[in-house]
Amino acid sequence: MSEDRLIITDGECDTAQIAEYEATRRDAVRRGLLAGGAIVAASSIPLLLNVRNAFGQASGDAAILEAAVGLEQTAVVAYDTAAGAFPQIRSTARLFRDQEQEHADGLAAALEDLGGTPPEPPEANEVKGLSAVKSVPQALTFAVELENMAVIAYIDAHRKLKSPALLKTGAQIMANEGQHLVVLRQALGATPAESVPSAFEAGTDPAP
Amino acid sequence: MDVSRIMRDPVSRRRFFQASGVTFVGGSAAFIAACGDDDDDETTDATSTGGANGDVAILNSALALELTAVEAYGKGAPLLKGAVLDAGGAFLAQEQEHAAGLRTALEDLGGKATAKKMTLDYSGLRNQADVLEFATNLENVAIAAYVDAIPKLSSGELRATAAQIVTNEAEHVSVLLGALGQDQVPEAFVTGDVNAL
Repeated sequence: MSEDRLIITDGECDTAQIAEYEATRRDAVRRGLLAGGAIVAASSIPLLLNVRNAFGQASGDAAILEAAVGLEQTAVVAYDTAAGAFPQIRSTARLFRDQEQEHADGLAAALEDLGGTPPEPPEANEVKGLSAVKSVPQALTFAVELENMAVIAYIDAHRKLKSPALLKTGAQIMANEGQHLVVLRQALGATPAESVPSAFEAGTDPAP
Repeated sequence: MDVSRIMRDPVSRRRFFQASGVTFVGGSAAFIAACGDDDDDETTDATSTGGANGDVAILNSALALELTAVEAYGKGAPLLKGAVLDAGGAFLAQEQEHAAGLRTALEDLGGKATAKKMTLDYSGLRNQADVLEFATNLENVAIAAYVDAIPKLSSGELRATAAQIVTNEAEHVSVLLGALGQDQVPEAFVTGDVNAL
């Protein structure tokens, strides 16, 4: 990758979101998380942060499920957009899109069983960073960051969920997100060994 | 899938190991005993876990699998080549990290690491493909065991750590499937069911 930095354009964010995002971005840069010259609008990472933080702030299985459905729906839209824009990765993007949709559908059904209402899926233009992704490496890197955030969120969910069935499902979904990461890392040039960089998958390894 | 059911049932156990060219010579009594009851997770609330004692049993069960995986990757290494050999070495090291983490967790609980690896006869492994198939099966058994165990762990931190381990095992499977020329992400929900292979 020619440039490992995140380019921030103007967007709609309140001060608290900017502060939180900047703290996270500095941490991410320090950890080498940002790569591939991904161009992301100021509000898109806060969108992802909001989804991830929703897990952190969610209390009760229903609230956690609602946040998880939102996360999965965002991934569906991202992969669907990538599939349409980049023929070179269409097959993989469609497979991952369909699997994220299975996650979203399963979690939404569980949420409804608890009396909750699944959120509406976002439109592609509501995931603002997507429109700025202009290349296959940027798309793959964006996907790695999405999957990493999902892993982080599901780790936190495992601390908080009460239902044994939801804990089991959460583990099965998180394991699948890990497998997505393997394929994405290999598509970005990682060797088989490099595509599994950590013994305890924490969602913190930067894209290759 | 309940790993304890597979390991207790001689037919299932033989089928699992013979399918991969490896003979099950003897089981670890501690491992089988530590697998726990065949609870119906649909009706068991997370609050009715076995507490610290239950956690110790579960962690020893997981440790037995990790120790077995360490040996398996070591035994299989001479038959691997190139990038696959590199991956095998990396995965062996990661299974060792899992084992170390489980031992630490057991100490933190005031328990003892009593688990021993399963005794297996690896002489049936003839080539790289045999090793990859066996490793995939073993990883899937581990995945199924962890998925079954997670709701039974009494601590949120233990559940989070177990989720990180099972995700790593699933990533191993993805690489192994790729080396076998198979789909690397066959299912949206990774269950680790060995019969799915």
